[in-house]
Order: sequence, then C-alpha cells, then structure tokens
Amino acid sequence: MKTMTLALALAATTVGLSAKADQPMNDLEIAHTAYTAGSLDIRYAHLALAVSENDAVREFARTMIRDHTAVNDAAGALIAELNVTPQDNDFSRALVEGAAAKRAELVALTGADFDCAYATNELGYHQIVNKTVAETFIPAVTVAPLKTLLEDALVTFRAHEAHAERMVEGLQCAS
Amino acid sequence: MRKLTLVTRRRFGQGLGASLALASAPGASPAHDGSHVVEVRISRFAFVPKRIEIAAGDTVLWINDDLAPHTATARDGAWQTATLEHGSSARVIFDAPGDMDYVCAFHPHMTGTVSVRSKPAG
Repeated sequence: MKTMTLALALAATTVGLSAKADQPMNDLEIAHTAYTAGSLDIRYAHLALAVSENDAVREFARTMIRDHTAVNDAAGALIAELNVTPQDNDFSRALVEGAAAKRAELVALTGADFDCAYATNELGYHQIVNKTVAETFIPAVTVAPLKTLLEDALVTFRAHEAHAERMVEGLQCAS
Repeated sequence: MRKLTLVTRRRFGQGLGASLALASAPGASPAHDGSHVVEVRISRFAFVPKRIEIAAGDTVLWINDDLAPHTATARDGAWQTATLEHGSSARVIFDAPGDMDYVCAFHPHMTGTVSVRSKPAG
C-alpha cells in the first residue's frame, strides 16, 4: 500500500475514491500516475467534444487534448530515453476508477447541465492534480529529468486550472 | 501591407544565430540590408518580452520553450505563425508600421505586441 498524503487523499476524494496507501510512491509510479492523469483528462475532453455545443467548453476541450497530448508525448520520449517502464499503482488505479464513474455521470447529461458538470469537474480535477504534482510528486521524484518534466508540465496544468476557472465563471453555473 | 514568412525548425542549432538561420532557412525571405531579427521566447505561457519595438523590414522570431503548443496570431487575423511545438520556432517579417497586438490562438490569455516603426529614410 502507498502513502496517501493530504493532497492525494483530496484527489481520491474528489474522484470518489477512498484512501488506501501507506508507502511513498517511487519515480516510476509517479510517472505512471502523472501520465494517467493526463490521459484521463484527454478522455474527458473527447466526451466534451462529443456532447457539448458550447464554444467555450469545446475550445477548452480542444486545448486539453492538444496540451495533455504534448505533455504525455514528452513523458513518453523521456521514458524511452531512460529505458524504464512506469509502474501501475494504487493511485493510478484509483484515478482510473474515479474517472470512469465521473464519465458515467457526465454522459447522462446534456446541454448546460453537461457543460457545468464538465467545467466544474475540470476545475476541481486540475486543482487537485496541480496540488499533488507540486506538493507531492515534484518533491519526491529523484531523477532530475523527470523532476524537470513535472515542473514544466505543472506550468501547463496551472494554465489549464486558470482557464477552467474562467470557463466556470463564464458559464455562470451557480446562478 | 506587411509581408510575412513562416519558418519552423527544431531547437537543435538555434544557437547558430537568427540572422544566419533566416538566410539559410527554406522558404525564408532574405532580410534586406540593415534589418534585424528580434527574438521572442514563449515561456511559462507568456511571450517574453511581451512588447517589442522593431523597424519596418525586421523579423520577429518566436521560439516555444513550453511543453504545450502555442502560436503567435494577430488579433485582427492579418498574420499568424504555424503551430509551434516544444522547441520549435517561427518567424514573421513586418514591413508595415504600426502596433500589432497578438495572442496565442490556443491560449488567448497570452498576449503580446509588436510595435513596428517606419524605417528611417536613406
């Protein structure tokens, strides 16, 4: 079992999961989880493009696909360069399970209900992922190129968080 | 009317110098006498420097240091670079004086300005 820090616990809670770990994640597990988080957001984005007719939501979704694909491509190149294999782990599996549940919720929605649910989830998802990457993953990683990649990726993810904030505000979901 | 030329290339060899690259890059127009290449880095979702001043006929070279793809796209749609992947660059030659506000087409909160002065006579 792996250590579930506050950030990870929050992440698990956000995606509807329970904490179940007590050991620090190693570099290969962190790499796997970061890659998984990006891939899951790409899947959310494809769902948004299939369902939403809102221009702001569709623009955001296209940006998520474009940017997360670029980050994951860079991660893939680094993995190949280092000749290592990322390790699946409890946290990655929890993210996958949580995202499947969230997609099941989203796919049942349409129109503004979908847009708000997607936008709100994107904001929460990026808030938690960014906190986890900044406070847990980057400090824990021991391989310099992976640390650099995570730091560069975090710049992108924080831009996404700010973009998601603007999207949520623009949709006026609370009113 | 401003003339523009787009060239993208990978990070490798970019230290050779923008003017040399301009002269040798496929599809690039040769710079006229006295023209300059001014570099703008795209870093941490910002154009750096955010505002540049150039003379008519000068070239602006954008280089993307971010993992995410970006563009430099005129707000009025008059010109744009190709998509700049990580480590790629593109250039635009500005022949017409004026302030050219631009954004990243993918991340419109990223803004910049190219201020083009008339080229001194003679």
